[in-house]
Amino acid sequence: MMKKHTWLKASWLMVTMLLGLIVFNTTTAHADTKEPHYVITTDTTFAPFEFQGQNGKYVGIDMDMLSAIAKKEHFTYKLVPIAFNSGAQGVLSGQFDAIIAGMTITPERQQVYDFGTPYYKTGIIAAVSPKSGITDLNQLRGKTVALKTGTGSAQYAVSIQKKYGFKVTYFNDSNTMYNAVALGNAAAAFEDDPVMKYAIKNGVKLKIITQPANGGEYGFAVKKGQNKELLAKFNAGYAAIKKDGTYDKIVAKYLGSNEAKFSGDAKENNSIIGLLKQNKNQFISGMIKTLQLTIFGIVFATIFGVLIGVLAVVPNKFAHGFSSTVIYIFRGLPLLVLAFFIYIGLPSLTGTKIPAIAAGLITLTLNEGAYIAAFVAGGLKHVDAGQMEAARSLGLPYWKAMRKVIMPQGIKLMIPSFVNQFIITLKDTSILSAIGIIELTQTGTVIISRNMQGFRVWFIVAMMYLIIITLLTFLAKWADKKFASK
Amino acid sequence: MTAKVTVKDLHKAYGDNEVLKGINLEVQENEVVVMIGPSGSGKSTFLRTLNKLEDPTSGEILINGYNLVDKKTDINKVRENVGMVFQHFNLFPHLSVLENVILAPVELGKMSKEDAKALGMQLLTQVGLAEKADAKPTQLSGGQKQRVAIARALAMKPSIMLFDEPTSALDPEMVGDVLQVMRDLAEDGMTMIVVTHEMGFAKQVADRVVFFADGYIREQGTPEEVFNNPQDPRAQDFLNKVLNV
Repeated sequence: MMKKHTWLKASWLMVTMLLGLIVFNTTTAHADTKEPHYVITTDTTFAPFEFQGQNGKYVGIDMDMLSAIAKKEHFTYKLVPIAFNSGAQGVLSGQFDAIIAGMTITPERQQVYDFGTPYYKTGIIAAVSPKSGITDLNQLRGKTVALKTGTGSAQYAVSIQKKYGFKVTYFNDSNTMYNAVALGNAAAAFEDDPVMKYAIKNGVKLKIITQPANGGEYGFAVKKGQNKELLAKFNAGYAAIKKDGTYDKIVAKYLGSNEAKFSGDAKENNSIIGLLKQNKNQFISGMIKTLQLTIFGIVFATIFGVLIGVLAVVPNKFAHGFSSTVIYIFRGLPLLVLAFFIYIGLPSLTGTKIPAIAAGLITLTLNEGAYIAAFVAGGLKHVDAGQMEAARSLGLPYWKAMRKVIMPQGIKLMIPSFVNQFIITLKDTSILSAIGIIELTQTGTVIISRNMQGFRVWFIVAMMYLIIITLLTFLAKWADKKFASK
Repeated sequence: MTAKVTVKDLHKAYGDNEVLKGINLEVQENEVVVMIGPSGSGKSTFLRTLNKLEDPTSGEILINGYNLVDKKTDINKVRENVGMVFQHFNLFPHLSVLENVILAPVELGKMSKEDAKALGMQLLTQVGLAEKADAKPTQLSGGQKQRVAIARALAMKPSIMLFDEPTSALDPEMVGDVLQVMRDLAEDGMTMIVVTHEMGFAKQVADRVVFFADGYIREQGTPEEVFNNPQDPRAQDFLNKVLNV
């Protein structure tokens, strides 16, 4: 009784400490009951504006500026760094009071956000791998260009896409985008001038090939009509640090900068029907990519899984060991980690690049295949040992007995698991958006980053997934009936 | 006349547990050998080594002249000639009765599907189950299942049949039909090795009765010799218990 109590206490302590650690980590200024307190989000990596310093604390131009302004204007805040796109949407959904994340002011964004005084002028530049020999945007024709989801740079690149005839692919963070170019999976990347220069200064192997162009201004943003007091404080504080030289000191600390001009885009019709019409081609191509990934993923994973699953039951110790190791590793790794490892890690190790779609399919094959292998092995082991003995005693060789006697019985037991795994595979394809595959989920992300219509676009995406799942389930039921009647 | 089965100094151990401690046995063509003995005496294990469902630890086994201990021997060829009937039937539940019977000859290319079906129907008639040809095994009673299992083994036209307690899992009223099929087989001259607790069957059908205990063959001879005048004290004790219930 006593012991149980101590255990409970210990685990409670652990949980509290963990929670405390998380909260503490994301807080740069402590709450004070007298001063107003805000929750402000920023990007996870957007150096030199925000990035983790050596001690894990967020630093950069935005960070130092925010801290100086908070001190001047007597408010405190909790900082929550998450992916830019999620942060931007979080402000609109009320999760956060404001965002400071090198966010370019655009007319579209001004429809849903209120921006503070523009605090930084920037230009957009393109960079390539030095090994590529590319020196000019004209050489990008037919090649793929890496863009970061939801950024002004991406918008700019798309606006000149027709002129230079390149294809585009999207990433959720700068680092993955840089890697795609450095490893040769994409020919070039577009990024804000200071961000790109800072990255190159800090070891990213890229070469800038253009002058800063078509820039914009960064602004501190709150949801339209909300947090007026915070916005006023930001503007007042910004004016003060600009005046007393703190701002220049901060900027100089991280870099010396250039400036450029800016132009925006037209409004969009934001009803669900309007969104569907406008983005019809994007949605269709996203759906096709998702279907391709799902169907090829299922086929390859099934072949791989059945093979590995059968190895778990053959009378051979080496095969057993191999099978359980493969299942252990690939079932144990999160799909996202596996995808990053194959797409970014493996090329670094072997020196050969992998197209994102191939990396995605390999990821699905290994991960979903490991799950399939586990239930194939289980299903086959569930078949009574006497069945194999009876088949062998008739003179059937092992594999013939396996195919004609064991497999048909085992597969019948496995059908529900297969249907389940197919549905999981479909959903798991969404994770592959992280390595820049523009499937259905990423399509949604890209559209939202431009028009900020999160709810409506996700509604459309969710409906599309449900439609595909319904079709797949019908197909599976039909196949099951056909198989069962045999 | 050469022996169909020759076993010399056969040992079988699972780890430290030795279940066969030096078995010697010869079985002649057309001979019916019935093996009896208490549970755990090693008789079933011995039977299973004869078609290599168990690997012997040491010793020699010759079946139709094939050396089972030699790794180069194609065990599938040997098994084609050695039919086996199991205590729990082990019919293939996903196949119909007829499909169970013809699976091996068709898959091993012994005959065309048509010929196999004709043979299958003939064998099912022989065991009295022709009308069940299209039924699934789950629709049969235990005794019917075991008769199908015998027909399935016979479809490979084996020259030796092994029976591993074929009636032990049956309700008493089912036992007679199965034993009758076995009796018919014996009368047709099949070489048979039978592990059973059916002493009546042993008395009537066996050419020779072999008594197992503790991993050894303790006694063997004609049914009259073994049942009426056992020499080994373990055999005396065992027979006393099973015959005078």
